[in-house]
Amino acid sequence: MTVAPPDTSTKYDLDFAKWVYENIEGGDKLALCMQCGVCSGSCPIGVQMDYGPRKLFMMIRAGMKEEVMTSSTQWNCTSCYRCVVRCPRSVPVTYILQDLAAKSAELGYAQKTNENVNFARSFWWSAKTFGRTDERLVTALYYFSFGLKEGYQRGLANLKIALNFVKRGRMHIGLPHRIKGRRQLKAILAKAEEIAKREGLH
Amino acid sequence: MTDNTTDKKKFTYYPGCSSQGSARHLDESLRAIAPELGIELDELEDWNCCGASVGHIGGGQLPNVALTGRNLAHAQRQGRQDVVTGCAACYLNTHGGNEKIKADVNLRRKVNDALAAGDLSYDEDLRVRHMCEVIVNEVGVDKVKERVTKPLTGLKVAGYVGCQTVRPFANTDAGGEYDTYDDPAFLDDFTEALGAEPVPFQHKTACCGGSVAVMSPDRTLHLVKNILEEAKQAGADVISTPCPLCQTNVEMYQEQINEKFGTDYNIPVVFYSQLMAVAFGLDAKKDAALHRNTIAPEKLEELATGRGEAKPRGAEPASPAAIGRD
Amino acid sequence: MSEKKPAVYLCKGCGIGEAVDVDALETVAKSEFKIGRCLQHAALCSDDGLATIRNDVESGSVNRMVIAACSHRVMTDKFQFGAAPVVRAGLREQVAWSQPAKAEDTQMLAADQIRMGVTQLSRTETPAPSVVQEFSRTVMVVGGGITGLTAAREAAKAGYPVLLVEKTDRLGGWAAKWSARMPHRPPYRDVQPNDVGKLVTAVQADKQITVKTNTLITRTAGQPGAFAVTLSQGGQETTERVGAIVVATGWRPYDASKLGHLGHGSSPDVVTGIELEAMLKAGTLTRKSNGAPVERIAFVQCAGSRDPDHLPYCSSVCCGVSIKQALQVVTRSPKASAYIVYEELRTPGTAEEFYRQAQKAGVIFMKGKAGKVDGGRMTVTYQDELLGMDVPLGPLDMIVLATGMVPNSTNPDAPAVEPEKGEAQLKDDINPVAPIKVAGYLSGEGKAWPHIDKGVPPGGPILNLQYRQGPHIPILADGFSDSHYICFPYETRRSGIYTAGPVRRPMDMAESAEDAMGAVLKAIQAIEGSKMGSSLHPRVGDLSFPKIGHDKCTKCRRCTVECPFGAIDEDEQGRPVINPSRCRRCGTCMGACPVQTITFDNYNPQMVNAMIEANEIPDEFSEKPRILVLACENDAYPAIDMAGINRHQWSPFVRIIPVRCLGSVTMQWISTALQKGYDGIMLMGCKSGDDYQCHFVKGSGIAKERMSKVGETLKSLMLEKERVTMEEVSIADSHRVPEVVNKFAELIGAMDPNPMKGF
Repeated sequence: MTVAPPDTSTKYDLDFAKWVYENIEGGDKLALCMQCGVCSGSCPIGVQMDYGPRKLFMMIRAGMKEEVMTSSTQWNCTSCYRCVVRCPRSVPVTYILQDLAAKSAELGYAQKTNENVNFARSFWWSAKTFGRTDERLVTALYYFSFGLKEGYQRGLANLKIALNFVKRGRMHIGLPHRIKGRRQLKAILAKAEEIAKREGLH
Repeated sequence: MTDNTTDKKKFTYYPGCSSQGSARHLDESLRAIAPELGIELDELEDWNCCGASVGHIGGGQLPNVALTGRNLAHAQRQGRQDVVTGCAACYLNTHGGNEKIKADVNLRRKVNDALAAGDLSYDEDLRVRHMCEVIVNEVGVDKVKERVTKPLTGLKVAGYVGCQTVRPFANTDAGGEYDTYDDPAFLDDFTEALGAEPVPFQHKTACCGGSVAVMSPDRTLHLVKNILEEAKQAGADVISTPCPLCQTNVEMYQEQINEKFGTDYNIPVVFYSQLMAVAFGLDAKKDAALHRNTIAPEKLEELATGRGEAKPRGAEPASPAAIGRD
Repeated sequence: MSEKKPAVYLCKGCGIGEAVDVDALETVAKSEFKIGRCLQHAALCSDDGLATIRNDVESGSVNRMVIAACSHRVMTDKFQFGAAPVVRAGLREQVAWSQPAKAEDTQMLAADQIRMGVTQLSRTETPAPSVVQEFSRTVMVVGGGITGLTAAREAAKAGYPVLLVEKTDRLGGWAAKWSARMPHRPPYRDVQPNDVGKLVTAVQADKQITVKTNTLITRTAGQPGAFAVTLSQGGQETTERVGAIVVATGWRPYDASKLGHLGHGSSPDVVTGIELEAMLKAGTLTRKSNGAPVERIAFVQCAGSRDPDHLPYCSSVCCGVSIKQALQVVTRSPKASAYIVYEELRTPGTAEEFYRQAQKAGVIFMKGKAGKVDGGRMTVTYQDELLGMDVPLGPLDMIVLATGMVPNSTNPDAPAVEPEKGEAQLKDDINPVAPIKVAGYLSGEGKAWPHIDKGVPPGGPILNLQYRQGPHIPILADGFSDSHYICFPYETRRSGIYTAGPVRRPMDMAESAEDAMGAVLKAIQAIEGSKMGSSLHPRVGDLSFPKIGHDKCTKCRRCTVECPFGAIDEDEQGRPVINPSRCRRCGTCMGACPVQTITFDNYNPQMVNAMIEANEIPDEFSEKPRILVLACENDAYPAIDMAGINRHQWSPFVRIIPVRCLGSVTMQWISTALQKGYDGIMLMGCKSGDDYQCHFVKGSGIAKERMSKVGETLKSLMLEKERVTMEEVSIADSHRVPEVVNKFAELIGAMDPNPMKGF
């Protein structure tokens, strides 16, 4: 088990930075961050984040795990990779944010109402079950992950788009698209989960 | 010109999930233009989802890479030819995952351990490529130009590349070094080759919001608005893009943007491959799939049905010389 | 001295012939100065031109000459004919290239150049050198640390006997106590083994090197080439003769007991970098409080450094040292984490590679000032500049205070001798804002320098110099030995004595070793120079030295007080005694002497006085004012030459006389010029102050102080005080010099003419 939850007994956890360096994908490169802020300056929706990536990385060093793990930063990343290609120290910012998101979901820091987590879970269900993303099902599942009422509202808001897509053949009616080797995929993913639990990614 | 139908370059084609949904018109138009460009697309057998931008959160990092592993294992069975995809997210995950597996023996072992549960293995060093990179590096823009029978004269095109088509791999060795990250030229080169006019477009690699736009449009509508605003100011008739999610986001949210910001955008958003299909004189519906755009690209439709001469499919396929290098 | 047979050679090359009427210049020399041998040539520096002059000299018809051609700064090797004195009258840079051709004023300027040249020649003699007696080639090195060891080894390698004196009982200094070194070889990334032991062995095995440990220096007398040094080894005194001295006394750590505000003393686990180094060297890194292993460690940078209440300066090595130690800690244990709390990390040059290596290894750098160090909770709270908030780092196993370096410009173990005199002299030296004490002129109080008390490291003198100006090697701000940072970094203000290593400025081991090599080269130059009677920097090769006319001397002691190099002692009767090989030939003593009785063979008050008087002063109705510029030959004069080379033009009313240093300017020259009818006088020299550029350290400062009193002289002559001014220029100021001169000429032009014209 390489993913040990950080110590939650204090506000500042001196070992948090080390944990991130060793357990977050690309975290080892984070050690080289020189706080120039090119990442935050390049971010399309950095202003909507609790903290820009630069500040988040400094908070990691300061051991502010609670603030980091519950931050909206990693959830607002649009995966545009601009920070990745611009970082003068080759810190893979997007990858780090993505894995911080994954780990904060996994370790229970993400809230139940976290849109990204709910979306990701809906998405994964489709990928895992059918081997394909059925945009129609993923969207519906996602909408209703917030409860019946909100699901209905969200669906309604995008109904026009959906109908338009159906009309253009870009959303189909009928059974989900699926792969033939569903049993095979299921076995592979189950095995991968098992290995991940045991050994982690790398 | 000494064209020869038998000398096409073969690729294993990975269409990706959007090819069966929101980006059917990308898939359809790519399949239509491929033979024109001397490319043979051999569809990847029983391909699965790539994991997109959220697979690692929903399923975890290793299972997410295992999705790519299964696709590559199938690709390997189909031969050692390069894998090509037209989808930015599929490229990002599959190319990125492939390179990680190649570079990290531990990861390769783990992925293979997982694949073994499905009686699969991946031990080749395949190459996963983006269709745009293949057109730039293998076909060449000059050859694209040679295929044109119906130049898109007078059509003003804002070339919107988006993010993941170029970032973070376009300028890497494994990514074929086919263009730059912030100011790529290939899309405008395509536009020009087709006889249309690329308009100056600062937002060419600005983010549309990606999957965040799908799950919570409120967070990202302003990004799409910025893109539309410049395209409109530049007098673009259409926005051209290589990315399925960009096409969907920029096209489908225009009505909501108009409501939210009091604007009146109604700008068609098409794939570069649709433009090519039209310029190559192929069928506007069957090949260019223009009917699938929710905002009808009227000018393009006019060009498709108007001047120029349609020609029978496959009459003048690309020569071996069209394949730049092997 | 045989009969003077002067000649004037006039060059017409490089545009001189086109700019001025050379025949008329020849007439000036012939009719005004009765020079028999005058010759014009199309290019004097050509083989034919030089052969002509050589024939004249060899035939015995000429034995001294004025070369009226290019500046005296160029072609010095060509225009040299045995021992014949040569004066160069500049017609090229300062006439042909900087004035309009064939103009009346240009011609007048050229004629004055001839007048000044011929006049200077008439007062110039070929100097006879003063050679030291009881000459020694030995280099004495003081201090057996890495700097001293390297200096000893390098001097021995160059073939000079070495006397290495070390205060303690062993060689190696601080360096021998380090567990490892910062990287000093490519690729400059990794901690490197401490190799100082090898150097100690090499020094001990070297037959050229005599090592004396447990030894102090009780007396240093004499001068370069012949210092007499008294050594005390366990109370036994011996006297040695040495040619030059390299002082490599190094540094001492800042007293951490003054750092209570940073938690020093609050816990045994709050230690200094020196203490941590000892633990790393011993190989047992455990908490002092309970013996537990050290896994979380934080370094507090600038502990007592860059702090006006402690050391106001940066010691430059502490960042590198902490990086090294942090790397050692995280390398020892994979569980260990190291934090470095810094305000500005200073990793110049290749140290940046080392910094990056530490980042890669996971050492965490936190930017911010440490506010509170709590030894009880073992927490460092600092103001994080990148987060904009206070961050408590803790609990830690160990907190390391990275303290700075205090120079050993005094011996901390020895009491200050002559406490009043010695310390007062040191304080005068280090106070950059106090007016320089000029004998006979000093008035008013100097502004207090805030760090004056901290600027003198406590202790006694190192060399116990038996000099009129005291036992210490002069120091500059912050207690480091003074040296000319830009031009002559190892030179102290005591000729033949060179400082190297951290006593000069904070530096690491690699820098100290390099510094040692530089200082040794200087020491060798001093030895060889004193053997020939030649000056040291910057007038290398000058064989002249000051001579005192004891019949006229009033024993006023101005020369002994003001000499920037302590070259002049006093005998029992209070008469000045020159130590020629200590002298740098700046002429500050000459400028100080109220009776103009200090002279050099080739430079003296009477000579410049006569040159000033030689020029033709047009009458007050001519509207042709005259401005005298006394330009320092080190920076100002080259800058003027370069202005000419760059074809800048300036006022033709200016007459420029080069001086060795503004310190050599006597008040008499000023009054002569004013009485002669010059309308304005400008002194052009180097920057003074604690960031001085003066090549003789204090010369320009002394001149400034003297000139501040000139207003009263002018008042007594009923003249405006603006007529005399002083301008600081650097060698890079060639573009600025014409502007400065022209502005002054404009100001003078706007005034009434000097009423004393034709007086």
